[in-house]
Amino acid sequence: MVRGPRSVKRANQAARAGRKEEISPPPSVVGRPSSVFRLLLQISSGSDLISRSSSQIPGRKTPQDPTSDLSPRSDLQSMLTKFETKSNRVKGVSFHSKRPWVLASLHSGVVQLWDYRMGTLIDRFDEHDGPVRGVHFHKSQPLFVSGGDCYFVQIRSNNLKCSIYLYLFSEGDALFVGDDYKIKVWNYKTHRCLFTLLGHLDYIRTVQFHDEHPWIVSASDDQTIRIWNWQSRTCISVLTGHNHYVMCASFHPKEDLVVSASLDQTIRVWDISSLRKKVAPADDLLRLGQINSDLFGGVDAVVKYVLEGHDRGVNWASFHPSLPLIVSGADDRQVKLWRMNDTKAWEVDTLRGHMNNVSCVMFHAKQDIIVSNSEDKSIRIWDATKRTGIQTFRREHDRFWILAAHPELNLLAAGHDSGMIVFKLERERPAFSVSGDALYYVKDRFLRVYEFSSQKDNQVVPIRRPGSVSLNQGPRTLSFSPTENAVLICSDVDGGSYELYIVPKDAAGRGDYMQDARKGAGASAVFVARNRFAVLDKSSNQAIVKNLKNEIVKKSPLPIGTDAIYYAGTGNLLCRAEDRVLIFDLQQRIVLGELQTPSVKYIVWSSDMESVALLGKHTIVIANKKLVHRCTLHETIRVKSGAWDDKGVFIYTTLNHIKYCLPNGDGGIIKTLDNTIYITKVSGNNIYCLDRDGKNHTISIDSTEYVFKLSLFHKRYDHVMNMIRNSQLCGQAVISYLQQKGFPEVALHFVKDEKTRFNLALESGNIQIAVASAKEIDDKDHWYRLGIEALRQGNTSIVEYAYQRTKNFERLSFLYLITGNEEKLSKMLKIAEIKNDIMGQFHNAMYLGDVHERIKILEHAGHLPLAYVTAVSHGLKEIASRLATELGENVPTLPEGKKRSLLLPPSSLICCGDWPMLRVMRGIFDNGLDTGKAGNEEEEDASNADWGDEELDIVDVDDMIQNADIGITAELDDGIPNEDNEEGGWDLEDLELPPDADTPKASGNATSLFVAPTPGMPVSQIWIQKSSLAGEHVAAGNFDTAMRLLTRQLGFKNFAPLKPLFMDLLLGSHTYMNAFASAPAMSIAVERNWSESASPNVRGPPALIFKFFQMDEKLKAAYRATTDGKFPEALRLFLNILHAIPLIVVDSRREVDEVKELIEIAREYVLGLKIEVKRKELKDNSVRQQELAAYFTNCKLQKIHSRLVLTNAMTICYKGGNFATAANFARMLLENGPTEIQAKKARQVLQHAGDRQDANQLNYDYRNPFVVCGETYVPIYRGQKDVSCPYCGARFVPSAEGHLCSVCELAVVGADASGLLCSPAQSR
Amino acid sequence: MAASPDLLFGLRNSFYLGAYQAAISSSDIPNLTANDALERDVIVQRSYIGIGSYKLVINEIDSSAPTALQAVKLLALYLSGSKEAAISSIQEWLSDAALGNNPVLRLIAGIIYMHEQDYNEALKHTNAGGTMELYALNVQIFIKMHRSDYAEKQLKMMQQIDEDHTLTQLANAWLDLAVGGSKIQEAYLIFQDFSEKYQMTGMVLNGKAVCCIHMGHFDEAESLLLEALNKDAKDAETLANLVVCSLHLGKPSTRFLNQLKLLHPDHMLVKRLATAEDNFDRAVQSIA
Repeated sequence: MVRGPRSVKRANQAARAGRKEEISPPPSVVGRPSSVFRLLLQISSGSDLISRSSSQIPGRKTPQDPTSDLSPRSDLQSMLTKFETKSNRVKGVSFHSKRPWVLASLHSGVVQLWDYRMGTLIDRFDEHDGPVRGVHFHKSQPLFVSGGDCYFVQIRSNNLKCSIYLYLFSEGDALFVGDDYKIKVWNYKTHRCLFTLLGHLDYIRTVQFHDEHPWIVSASDDQTIRIWNWQSRTCISVLTGHNHYVMCASFHPKEDLVVSASLDQTIRVWDISSLRKKVAPADDLLRLGQINSDLFGGVDAVVKYVLEGHDRGVNWASFHPSLPLIVSGADDRQVKLWRMNDTKAWEVDTLRGHMNNVSCVMFHAKQDIIVSNSEDKSIRIWDATKRTGIQTFRREHDRFWILAAHPELNLLAAGHDSGMIVFKLERERPAFSVSGDALYYVKDRFLRVYEFSSQKDNQVVPIRRPGSVSLNQGPRTLSFSPTENAVLICSDVDGGSYELYIVPKDAAGRGDYMQDARKGAGASAVFVARNRFAVLDKSSNQAIVKNLKNEIVKKSPLPIGTDAIYYAGTGNLLCRAEDRVLIFDLQQRIVLGELQTPSVKYIVWSSDMESVALLGKHTIVIANKKLVHRCTLHETIRVKSGAWDDKGVFIYTTLNHIKYCLPNGDGGIIKTLDNTIYITKVSGNNIYCLDRDGKNHTISIDSTEYVFKLSLFHKRYDHVMNMIRNSQLCGQAVISYLQQKGFPEVALHFVKDEKTRFNLALESGNIQIAVASAKEIDDKDHWYRLGIEALRQGNTSIVEYAYQRTKNFERLSFLYLITGNEEKLSKMLKIAEIKNDIMGQFHNAMYLGDVHERIKILEHAGHLPLAYVTAVSHGLKEIASRLATELGENVPTLPEGKKRSLLLPPSSLICCGDWPMLRVMRGIFDNGLDTGKAGNEEEEDASNADWGDEELDIVDVDDMIQNADIGITAELDDGIPNEDNEEGGWDLEDLELPPDADTPKASGNATSLFVAPTPGMPVSQIWIQKSSLAGEHVAAGNFDTAMRLLTRQLGFKNFAPLKPLFMDLLLGSHTYMNAFASAPAMSIAVERNWSESASPNVRGPPALIFKFFQMDEKLKAAYRATTDGKFPEALRLFLNILHAIPLIVVDSRREVDEVKELIEIAREYVLGLKIEVKRKELKDNSVRQQELAAYFTNCKLQKIHSRLVLTNAMTICYKGGNFATAANFARMLLENGPTEIQAKKARQVLQHAGDRQDANQLNYDYRNPFVVCGETYVPIYRGQKDVSCPYCGARFVPSAEGHLCSVCELAVVGADASGLLCSPAQSR
Repeated sequence: MAASPDLLFGLRNSFYLGAYQAAISSSDIPNLTANDALERDVIVQRSYIGIGSYKLVINEIDSSAPTALQAVKLLALYLSGSKEAAISSIQEWLSDAALGNNPVLRLIAGIIYMHEQDYNEALKHTNAGGTMELYALNVQIFIKMHRSDYAEKQLKMMQQIDEDHTLTQLANAWLDLAVGGSKIQEAYLIFQDFSEKYQMTGMVLNGKAVCCIHMGHFDEAESLLLEALNKDAKDAETLANLVVCSLHLGKPSTRFLNQLKLLHPDHMLVKRLATAEDNFDRAVQSIA
């Protein structure tokens, strides 16, 4: 659309559509000043300043081929339209900085205020008389300014009004410009035009508030730019110089600069720093006249640069928000980029591509891009660095006129011929995926991990930059496979593609190296199993399943035309088509579930994969895993995100709320949001979310309401009750919810208002509360209703009470009648009498069957005939005759032939008292009241828990002291049968079966063509080859080599005790698995010390069932048995340890030492216990008993056991009359830190023993160190000859050489042996 | 790969994973082609064998049944005790050119010779492969022969045919277990996948438990095995593994062992124990 010659201007003023070509400058104002200006400039700064910059490199950029713009690439699709209006042509738009509002000024003279989030028209301002071209919100005040083009002269009398508005204005307001040459400042709160700024002599093109100063800049067709002070409502500066219409003027966001664009083909940058100096309002007022008189003064604002380069009129110019750059758009269809410094400004580059006049152009505040729009019906996005076109959004019919950017959010608005669009250039939703406690998300070219529990946030892997600089190429979705630590990131790059990254396991905190991601094309890609992902190939409508090497595993055609796929459990895909979703089993190729839904955008599975939420733009559909519909919620505001909480409540966000949805479809608001968030996880009262900048936040919410409702839904009334008790949950909403859901009795608990309480109580049948409330309210209606309910329930006393309170005598009487309460009835009769209520009296008398009374009443009431008839009927002759005389002639005749009877009410079954009452449903909450206070503190059974239980010792000792050793004997007697029983289980395992069942038979008849491989070596054989450890040979089943090893190393001869151990060891070495159906099971060798990093096919040593740490436990058990005095059991346990040790394998030399230590401990105990058992057998040999008791004290035992042994020996010796020895034991005991009682006993012994001598000579000399022979139990004093057991190290008298060691029962005493080998470390 | 839904998928899967009862009860599938129906019948009959109903199978398959079913009948005969008769018939049939190539027959032959521990003979019939089942059987035979290198080759072939096939995954798990080391974890994940995807069968639970035992996680293994025992209190492998697991945990294992001896006197563990006791006595004598 080429502009016509200027002469055409104003040809038809009435038909003016606001087109700039139709307007000419006002005759007198322009000419001179501008030419003077130019002259001045040329003189002052030289022509180079305004000359065209040389930075335009010829040939660098060819104008884009116009046809390429017509290519079928559907660009409009990628424009993220948030809101659209249909209206007259929109020539001005402005965003509110805080609220979701946008102003649109229309060609029709109306200014519209829209809420773009809700999509509603909030207000319209229509005082302008012609098209409104410019509009602008104030940044902080509730103001906007507008400029219009009406030709009426503003009437001065308006001034009065203005002064009133000024007051309002100070509390805050916005700005329009209109073609009525008027600038109006509006307060949108009061919906008023505050005042009008007059001065421009022609159409006003743009208006803009200054961010800080109370200034407005306006550009007009009168070739001037004016700066106004809106506080003083005066023009403070007129910028002249342009010699054609000024199409736009705007303040620099930070510096004291104004940029303007004009049809004179220039862009001018004005320095307004001097203006700031005279900001004082009083000054402004003073200056006003001066300015008006001296339009050309120009002292306040001087032109700094004149930018020439466009070949036609310039429509728009704007500053870069932070860099010294200007971008301009002109009728030459070009967008030009200019740079300036302190002294000059020059053209940097030209962006070609628009096919008609460029109407508006601006830098994007957050990204390095330029946005321009044009009358060619397109909006173009340019890369500001590379200066290439990125994207074109095209509309069919509408020319674009204006652009505006949101001051804070990533929103843009564009006005066109038939309305306005609010849109976004790029998606802001971060791609994320939650896995357990971790959130994987993409931010700024990095894959990051956020741990919910610790709130740690680490970047793990750098993400490749998309090759082409284009919009919306960022990651769109993210899919994570926790077991493989693999991440799939999908984006729209190349029409849809994915990248596969493997997150290094130890990547926490690092992430500096770039890995080569595996890539592929596909509309969406998602993990469907641990190591499989599916890629949607839209063209063939197939799901391509790939493995982690990015190799195709299989392809599966999809049952419906799918535009996106999502995870739906292992091996399943959720396919989304336009109007439905379905779950497809990739392996079976069957559809597992299908659901008709409005277009679904996001899928959120509950953690147990039982429920799924399908989020659409305005709907939420909840379904189960088979896509059976559960409920649908509709939202007016866009749904953004959601997550399931642990209780099965779906928590979701819309643009401005956090809300919840219960399984039954009930929903509600939890919290209002200021900014859009994306929920990642809900845990208890915490909501974890990402914001639009990809920052993690935790929001605490009060979940009481929905937990309460959920509990009601699940009929968990105890919870409900608890919550009612403990929380401040209240409000009309909850009450009506409860009422509506049929829980008036619960609602009762919330209500304070008596009337509501009363109603709820009646509804729930809670008569007690109803009575209480009725008392409080005490009005007739309520008593009446109470009576009805009480009657319904059969609670007659309440009915009576209610009737009494309302003095409802008729009803009371009737109640007494039906309840048979004659006493009360007669009272009622009297009351009626007192009240002179004849009818009441009569009724009561009749109810009572009291004929006399009735006659009396009738008589009193003057109904003599009736009284007479009554008397006659009931045979009361006396009264009848009396009445007859009174009546005289008027005695009525009675009908003949009628039988007379007294009408009496049937007597009631239950007299006086409540009827059987209706069962009122009340239980659920009264029953659910137990608040779980019952103390569940489990008392640990402390006895025997610890072998060092002193209490027990004391008892033992006491027993011992009082009746010799009966106590111990008794305990022993108890112990022995038990032991026998237990051991009974061990001797059953003798089965005779043929040998070599599991060694494969070698069959050599491989006659066919196929030659089978020779069998490999079984793992057990590999074990033996490597090992010289007996345990490992046993596990491998090579018993003879094991035995040989044991003989060589430890001099073993008796293997019988080891047989069960051998068997267990062997059995524990292999596991079994049923592999192929009906084929024989596989047995698999179990290896020791498995680790994740162990390499396959390299055989580790066998896993042995006897582990050293288990020995420790066994030792503890043995100690405990010793403490408890269960000597045979203790002996068995210690022997067990001693027998297992040869088969143990440990890893380190240190452990070898520990093993050897353990042998010593076990040996000492075994020896000691054997002595003790022997002593018990010798009932009649007191001397030998004393000796053995004394030898026992020589064994190295735990302190606690030593003390017991010493006490024992002391007691025995004392009883045996060997006082000196006993005293010695007493002293030893005292040195050993005895318990209170032991010490007391020892002191007593010392006291009694005094200096008395031993009665018998014992073979025991405590002064002379000795060891006890393991076989004969005699002391071998130091210096005497002895032999020892090669394994356990027990000492023996020389005569025992060659015998089987009687302590360990395994080795031959005095045999040659190389020593214990129990660790591979020893042989290294 | 046909685009039509695989009607026998669920049935096959149940069978492979040892859910024999489920396989039997879900066998009533409409609209099967003749081939599919035969396959269905084979699977059902083999499922009966799986739950030990040999007699039923023997009675139900008459002499007019197709070769595949006849082969299944032979397996039932063999397992019910008539070993010689079964082997001689199968040898006869295998040498018949018309029948010898039947994959089910070859498979059954492989299974029978495996029971005979004549792996060479088994391989003679199965090594050519042809069906997933034959390959899977080969994998197992090679594992039995301690030739995991050969087993791996078979597995590769299976993976080339269908990497996600249940048998491929299973065979993979077997091999992983056989080679040990870090592969154990992979086997565990495979069983884990199965347990997520399909019903928990004793076989899957046992598989997981075995992996746990190999990884040294005896507690987890025990709980898995007890779960398996709940499903089938008589399962031989469950009992055997429970014995192993209890031994490692230092818990009494006698009850499970006795149960196993009673219920499955032919189980490998029982046999091994008997052999071992014999060996022990002989070794003691030789030492003395």
